[in-house]
Amino acid sequence: MARELKFESPSFGRRLKGMLGVDFYRLFHTPLYYIFLAIAAIIPAMVSGFTSMPDQNGNVMEPLYQNAWQIIAAAEPLYVINTIADYANMNMVFIFGGIMVSIFIGHDYSSGYVKQLFTTHAKKQDYMLSKTIVCAFAMACMCVTYLIGGIAGGLVAGYPFQVNVGSLLLAILGKMVMSLGWASLYTFLNVIFRRYFGVSIASSFFFGTGILIIGAAAIVESLQLPTAFLNIFLYGSSVNACLVSNISTLLICVVVSVAWAVFYNILGTHILSKSDVY
Amino acid sequence: MNAIEIRNLSKSFRNLYAVDGLNMTVPMGAIYGFIGENGSGKSTTEKLICGHLVPDNGEIKLFGRDYTDPGVRVRVGALIENAGCFPGSSIYQNLMMQAINLGLENPDEEIHRVLEIVRMSEHAQLKFKKCSLGMRQRIGIAMALLGDPALLILDEPINGLDTDGMRIMREILVDITKKYGCTVLISSHILGELEKIATHYGIIRQGKMIMELSAEEMDSRAQVFVSLKTKDMVGAMKKLAEKYADVRMEDEYVRVYDVDDTASIVDFLMKNGHVVSEIQKNKIGLEEYYIELMSKKEGA
Repeated sequence: MARELKFESPSFGRRLKGMLGVDFYRLFHTPLYYIFLAIAAIIPAMVSGFTSMPDQNGNVMEPLYQNAWQIIAAAEPLYVINTIADYANMNMVFIFGGIMVSIFIGHDYSSGYVKQLFTTHAKKQDYMLSKTIVCAFAMACMCVTYLIGGIAGGLVAGYPFQVNVGSLLLAILGKMVMSLGWASLYTFLNVIFRRYFGVSIASSFFFGTGILIIGAAAIVESLQLPTAFLNIFLYGSSVNACLVSNISTLLICVVVSVAWAVFYNILGTHILSKSDVY
Repeated sequence: MNAIEIRNLSKSFRNLYAVDGLNMTVPMGAIYGFIGENGSGKSTTEKLICGHLVPDNGEIKLFGRDYTDPGVRVRVGALIENAGCFPGSSIYQNLMMQAINLGLENPDEEIHRVLEIVRMSEHAQLKFKKCSLGMRQRIGIAMALLGDPALLILDEPINGLDTDGMRIMREILVDITKKYGCTVLISSHILGELEKIATHYGIIRQGKMIMELSAEEMDSRAQVFVSLKTKDMVGAMKKLAEKYADVRMEDEYVRVYDVDDTASIVDFLMKNGHVVSEIQKNKIGLEEYYIELMSKKEGA
């Protein structure tokens, strides 16, 4: 029985709304999201709590931090880390986030759900954009739970809380804004390594730790170049958002994060469009 | 206007052509049985139509439009290899995700409608990982049915199902085409089942379409024959060969091809001293037709 058919092309907005709707529905209905929110809260509390505990001889370690807010952001931009404390701040969210994005996107492929998506959504840019936005949202939420965990840890460890509130807020906002750039990088990496789940997780971890920027920073330092140059990278801007942040720090974060998000989205869309789904 | 029109489609993997200059025409409203051996290019063709694979060459049109047009793609539903559901989510949640993805106005209502079609209403809250194979295939069909699709692409949906599962699936597919006017492209190895529902056939071999025909054409091409048993099978066969052009011994029966008059055969054998113990009229089925066609191509 033949029937009269109408074909209305859904607008970009409608397509994106549908895709975002699915991804948010999935995010809120998967335990993975809540597990990572909890991890983001527990880790800073553990780091500051453990470092303030006495050892078996009753000696207390030299405190890792001078101030509770250093659990959230470094006192000043540190492109090359010297101690674990330099590293253990809100930037760790970008590592947890990388693993979460890998699992989130990996499930799309391992379950075969991606076939349903691409059967009805011819436009690959919808997929890239939606995943970037949803994963950025998840990472921004992890920044919030990290903040809560960090404060709790600071209280337990008895660190002082004196801070320039404006700079602190700008640093936190800067790091939350950077979630967009990081989420786009991870989405891109997972699209590239979609057939190899283990490789996608490893690559996300590798990039999330900022190993490349640490190498670049070492070169910049040895050549005595201005370190501000490193802020064009995701890790550089993320590190730059510290306890001496000002409005220009936040602006740099916005520009860098959006620019990389656009770059990775265009690149990811191109690769997806030119290659087989699986 | 045809539901699917493919011209000169090619797809290779590491220089080996899985689909090689394929042409295909699926009329609107048809249940198109897509037949071919393993590795003949059926699934690859279906994946190309669904946009899962990027073709090397060729043109795919769905309802007269380019297959990448989002307007036409939202009207396509597919079940390729598996249902594409998240194992840890319930059937309802999986369907809800696809309903949101399609931007349906009343997703809850729509989910219950498709669950009813696939006879799964009472299992909506069951986790996908706890479903049997038959249930999973039906959920896959339900996923594909969301959003009023005009075209359904089903890759081996009856593989691995038991007899009852096959019957349910057959009924569902017939329902879909009758009630909703959907065009269905279905590939299957179980030709006996396909024969019961298909209105058109396409036979693919080594990535090339070797024949497309309607069920009526298939019917008219199918040879009729009479099969019989007697005490002296060899003697009866020799005697029948004197009168009829095509007589063969197959499957422990004497078969007289291109004849459907059982009475005249019985009469002829009786006159020649052979008592017929069993006789029936037959028609070559899709499976035999396909095997014969393939053996001819093999010989060619």
